[in-house]
Amino acid sequence: MSFAQFFAAYWWLMFPVFGMLMAFVGMFQTERRSNQTMDLIKSYVDQGKDPPPELLKLVAQQSDWDMDMSGVGGGSKSNRAWTFVVFLALAAGFGTGYYFMRAESWSFAFLIVAVTMGVMAVGALLLLIFGRKS
Amino acid sequence: MSEELFRDFWWLMFPIFGMVMAVFGMLQENRRIDAIHNRARRELGTDQ
Repeated sequence: MSFAQFFAAYWWLMFPVFGMLMAFVGMFQTERRSNQTMDLIKSYVDQGKDPPPELLKLVAQQSDWDMDMSGVGGGSKSNRAWTFVVFLALAAGFGTGYYFMRAESWSFAFLIVAVTMGVMAVGALLLLIFGRKS
Repeated sequence: MSEELFRDFWWLMFPIFGMVMAVFGMLQENRRIDAIHNRARRELGTDQ
């Protein structure tokens, strides 16, 4: 199998592999940064000093991210609405791609992504309607 | 063959650009947080 044949058969794998790598690296880095930030704040408190506002802001940002990722309906209402719009747009885009490419043997990749994004959009809509009001 | 490959997959440059930008954004964010941590360490007078 030549490189061209291999690429033509498995090009779509780059997206899930990239997504998994980014999720893994992001999770690892968030954990490490969170620990570093908390250690620094603890050092400030131990010395009887006020932590810099940037550090406190970092902790607040990380908490927001945790809340969003845990799917408990955190974040502002406009953030959740924007998440819904993004997933809906992705589902529509990949659905359109599938419609135009449905004759191709690899068109199922578009359908898989469109369905996944559609489910994510429905989840985001449910969180928008029934999530915690903040 | 490479010309044919490009003709079939030219549109991949857009998602690949998105992926490159995502990695670049992550690195920028890391650099920003590192700078905040380093400044906080300097102000604290420790070099952890």
